[in-house]
Amino acid sequence: MESEIVQLRNVRKIYQQGEVQVNAVDEVSLSIHQGDFAALCGPSGSGKTSILNLIGGLDTVSSGQVRLEGVDLSTLSNTALSEVRKNRIGFVFQSYNLIPVMTAYENAAFVLDLQGATKTECHERVMKTLADVGLQGLENRRPDEMSGGQQQRVAIARAIVTHPAIVLADEPTANVDSHTAESLLDLMQTLNEQHGITFLFSTHDQRVIDRAKRIIQVQDGQIVSDEHKA
Amino acid sequence: MKVLQLASRNVIRSSHRTMVTTLAMAFACAMMIVFSSLMEGFIVGSERNIVSMNTGDIQIHQFGYRDDPDIYKQIEQSSELVVAIRQAGLMASERLFAYGLMASDNSSSGVQLRGIDLDFESTVTQINQHIQTGDWLDTADPHGVVIGKKLARLLDVSIGSELVFVGQTADGYMANDSFHIRGVLKSVSAEIDNSGVIMSNTMLQDLISLPDGAHEITIIRSDRNTDLDAAVQTINALVGDDLEVLNWQQLMPVISQFLETAQVQSLIMLLFTYIAVASVVLNAMLMSVFERIHEFGIMKAVGVRPWQLIRIIYAETFIQTLLASILGLLLGVSITWYFVRYGLDLSSLSEGISFAGLALDPVWYAAWSFESLLSPILFLFVMTTVAVIYPAIKAAVIRPVDAIHHH
Repeated sequence: MESEIVQLRNVRKIYQQGEVQVNAVDEVSLSIHQGDFAALCGPSGSGKTSILNLIGGLDTVSSGQVRLEGVDLSTLSNTALSEVRKNRIGFVFQSYNLIPVMTAYENAAFVLDLQGATKTECHERVMKTLADVGLQGLENRRPDEMSGGQQQRVAIARAIVTHPAIVLADEPTANVDSHTAESLLDLMQTLNEQHGITFLFSTHDQRVIDRAKRIIQVQDGQIVSDEHKA
Repeated sequence: MKVLQLASRNVIRSSHRTMVTTLAMAFACAMMIVFSSLMEGFIVGSERNIVSMNTGDIQIHQFGYRDDPDIYKQIEQSSELVVAIRQAGLMASERLFAYGLMASDNSSSGVQLRGIDLDFESTVTQINQHIQTGDWLDTADPHGVVIGKKLARLLDVSIGSELVFVGQTADGYMANDSFHIRGVLKSVSAEIDNSGVIMSNTMLQDLISLPDGAHEITIIRSDRNTDLDAAVQTINALVGDDLEVLNWQQLMPVISQFLETAQVQSLIMLLFTYIAVASVVLNAMLMSVFERIHEFGIMKAVGVRPWQLIRIIYAETFIQTLLASILGLLLGVSITWYFVRYGLDLSSLSEGISFAGLALDPVWYAAWSFESLLSPILFLFVMTTVAVIYPAIKAAVIRPVDAIHHH
């Protein structure tokens, strides 16, 4: 058994919508292991993005515990959470979310720069990562000069260039055509298999579900099944 | 994080908003440079009109003369006193005054005759350089006089016109003589403009039969940067308690206070103008932040700290303010240069403006000063720094989970 990267223990997340309380995440317990290529699946509003946000330290639990590499995120300050997100988590969002005034290279190097990496180290790692995601030669293009698939590849490069403990991908194929979606999944699968990068998706895209090695079914804020493929 | 690089690209990215905001700031900055320079010009011009044209730094009179300018309230042994003052390192000149009626061919008016020491008056005032038409007094032409511009209009006279004076001598007889006009002064003070007739003090001594003494001794410091109070103390030590010694601020208290508050008025104007500009900057930066909430959310999600976002917002504002300052300075200096050289001609609005006895030149000239150029720029930076606090904090406290899903 690979080591546990993420542990959720009896996690609840309650949102207040006007006078109504919504249980977005309801008593969820879950472990994500090193090398997982797992997908949180479920219909819209089932709570999968909320779980991803809690694991990513973007949101806080109402009760229960989220541990990342053994650290209870609920005990951390906002600054410490920023550090965790910067150093240990890679994010890939649905709509690419690159910084529009930066080139592909600068977007990929952004978090490394925040970490204080040297220029040489930054250059080597970014160039290698951009090559890994198939963007060699496009380093100087800005987001508006790239296709949706290329932008998402930059987002993946930004997520993995810091060697995070886990990459959290929220609907990464939602905004691209099926050909691009397949190619992005090929890329992430390769990164998982060849580099051992752990991926946790939130998705209802069947193509992602088909590729995932582990399917975690979420419904009404609860995990209804957790299935490892052979 | 390369804050300046990121900020400069963000500034260029919203080029239309940047242009509108920067031009608004630049225009305000330019206008305030022009306004401050005009105020500086007003202060310098007013002080010059008071000190250099008439009052000098310090004046000596008999007690009560200023309230009741009696011909007999003379400063005894004024010549010896003037010599002593000069020996103390100050410049001094005697003046003699008399009052009466001056008539031309067409009109007559009450006048103040001002007898000045032609050898020394130019060491204490520059009134001899303030001639509008004609020439200054000449010892070779004792009956030639220089008169105020409004008096010239009132008497309907011009250079060379004959005038007849009727008054009283010191021994109680009628004083009368005829004069001709050598020159007409530019605006100096309401008193001189309306009724001043300047001649040599020897001529006036003869006219009013008052061979000795003076009604006024005017004194000026050799170095304008030396302490005025110290100069007053020096004079007091020379004259004792017998005579009244007053500096120009005591002689013209209303004007003095007005000029002192002129700088404050300028600052208040600066403040109000920039509050308006700050609201433009605040609005622009708030729009800029709200437009990019999603982007800021992503940045925070990947590890950017709140203070780093604040630095980005401030850097964007700094770049725009710097740009606005450069543009504002160029525009402001260009307009100010014009007003320094050619002035702002207000003569069509009013022929002669006077305030508390001080005649204002109808052509209002600006004056260069370090403060009038620097203050508007400093104010601009301070006001924009204050205006951006709210948008910067707004960006800094965004919760990434909310911002990422914000559209």
